[in-house]
Amino acid sequence: MSLPLRDDPKRELWYAWYAAVFFYTLYSVIFFLVTHVQPPGQPWYTPTQVTHWFAHYHNGLLIGFALIFALGGLSATSIALITYSIRRMSVSRAFAYSYLILYAVSAVPGFLFICVAMTAGTFRPDRDPQLQQWLYDFGFLSFSGTMGVFLIGSLIWMTAILLDKNRVFPKWFGYLNLCNALTEVVVAPSWIFYRGVFAWNGLIAWWIDVFVFGIYTGVFLMLLRNMILREDFGSGPLPELPLLARQAPATLELAS
Amino acid sequence: MGRISGERIIFWTLPAVAIIWILAFCLFPGFLPPMSPTSSAGDVARFYQEHTARVRYSMIVLNWFCVALIPILMLIVERMRRMAHRTPIMRYCMIGVAGAAPIVFLTSSVFWLLAAFRPDRAPDLTQMYNDLAWITFTCGVPFLVGQCVFLAISIGLDEQPQPVFPRWVASFNIVIALALIPAAFAGLAHTGALAWNGFLSFWVKNVAIALWIIVMSVVLAKALQRDVAVAGAAA
Amino acid sequence: MTTIETAPPTPPVTETKRVPGQPDMWVFVIFESLIFTAYFAVYLYYRARHEAAFLAAQSHLELWLGVLATIALLTSSWSIARCVQTARAGRYKTAVRDAYLTAGFGVVFMGLKIADWVHQIHLGNTFTSSQFFQYYFFLTAIHFVHLLIGFVVLGVLLYQLSGAERRSQEIVETCATYWHTVDFLWVLIFALLYVVR
Repeated sequence: MSLPLRDDPKRELWYAWYAAVFFYTLYSVIFFLVTHVQPPGQPWYTPTQVTHWFAHYHNGLLIGFALIFALGGLSATSIALITYSIRRMSVSRAFAYSYLILYAVSAVPGFLFICVAMTAGTFRPDRDPQLQQWLYDFGFLSFSGTMGVFLIGSLIWMTAILLDKNRVFPKWFGYLNLCNALTEVVVAPSWIFYRGVFAWNGLIAWWIDVFVFGIYTGVFLMLLRNMILREDFGSGPLPELPLLARQAPATLELAS
Repeated sequence: MGRISGERIIFWTLPAVAIIWILAFCLFPGFLPPMSPTSSAGDVARFYQEHTARVRYSMIVLNWFCVALIPILMLIVERMRRMAHRTPIMRYCMIGVAGAAPIVFLTSSVFWLLAAFRPDRAPDLTQMYNDLAWITFTCGVPFLVGQCVFLAISIGLDEQPQPVFPRWVASFNIVIALALIPAAFAGLAHTGALAWNGFLSFWVKNVAIALWIIVMSVVLAKALQRDVAVAGAAA
Repeated sequence: MTTIETAPPTPPVTETKRVPGQPDMWVFVIFESLIFTAYFAVYLYYRARHEAAFLAAQSHLELWLGVLATIALLTSSWSIARCVQTARAGRYKTAVRDAYLTAGFGVVFMGLKIADWVHQIHLGNTFTSSQFFQYYFFLTAIHFVHLLIGFVVLGVLLYQLSGAERRSQEIVETCATYWHTVDFLWVLIFALLYVVR
């Protein structure tokens, strides 16, 4: 029994890409619709209000985060693809490995802590409200306020793209990485304020930031797809998109 | 074929690590039998007061060695180099999850150590640390599931006359991944098979992890032997 | 690859560039400007809601410090524009001198900004002391970060100019575009924070 796309030499890249798209879709659906942690709960809630928030979203929180606990490992596919893209560039492999490590670690503030904190908060509804509020803070701040990993990671990818001579990614995407890196700076005040535009759910620290991040993620998933379509497993510059690029991957004919 | 010097040394750390883990596991008073989620704050506080020393020593050991499996995982990643893959993408996936997986055990050991640090504090606080430790430890399976799935797919893609790992290893990894998944849902139950002390979330999950380590080390030993022979023939 | 051979030929690349520098940098400029516009919109919205409080806080600002800083940055934009011109004419030694001049004015701006911040903090106006100063410190700080990046960009520019085999006019213009953007954003920030009353 053989895995799908048997005759496509790029199939491992396609597996990773479809897994990455699936992961980001799942992640968005769970965080926005199932658990309701995005947009985040109000930072200025009193302990009693926090307890009500946990109770109100009880089932969604537990089931949603259980799904992330089960399937969160798929996040590695997106990281692996980006690492591969950097390795395909003309820059030192140090860039690729730095990115891989930075983002492997990013999974911890990226979803693990919020899963643990929110599950612990929902799990014992009769806990002292002050402790519930601590768990609530831990969940949201560990998720929104942890910036270093993503900041440095974006800068590494940006530098690699700008130095690259193999045209793996367009230069404007390198600059977009800078925009994304700057959103990490902008979210930092969420550690200081619990009201207003700089709070963890504020107009500037959350809404504008998430909008930029959403665009960035959509763009890089599309660019990764283009990269896979163009890939010829050689070294040196990546070929341009074939004119028949819009075909499904399995039927794409490669140069003989 | 790459350099293999020193790989056997890494490999033989595995039994040592396994023994240390088993000792830590048995020494920790909360595993055999596993603590119940339904214990009151008072009971939990009393537990930490009565067993302070054993909690501390077992968790210190776990804290030291929870990352000890990484070199072994890297041995597996090195074997993947000889698989019939066109790109290193599956190895990158493996490295990605291997990097994050020990942090789960590290974090849970930190929470247990915190719970035991001031046994006389308010019972509510101790109970919260205990909850955090148990939830992290039990539900924190995503990277292990990922590892099994990536390895299974890698083996499935390894279509050559002499695959690096036999086909059944892929099926075995899928079975282990499925065995680990129920534990992710431990937050939904305080009693029963899904609770963190229940049959599925505690026993099946931990036995699955142990089984994976045992089986993969045998499989890895065979693959290592073959690579040593190949390197020796090439020399 | 017969399909490529029979494909209609792509139109030839025109000799005259439509934008100076890499078009990619303009994508960044537009995107960053949009983000800053969003920040400005938020600022103006909240300012309209608390006009009196904002006016009272704004009166603490030293207008002359802001004006001096603006002049410094505008002068740096002039010197980098000269740099692009002299580089295009092939007078690289002069271009390098212009680039250093730009950096110098950038440093002057930095000094004035830091002096302004220190002054405000001494007056008791910090990031957390009032709504206006939240925006003041945020906007000036995020601009400052862009300026620091600008110094890295100037470094790239100097690297290009100082090596005969490296001199890419496109990269020189791209760097200049970035620097002009930093200047442009400052003018807007200056107008919003210091002047609009």
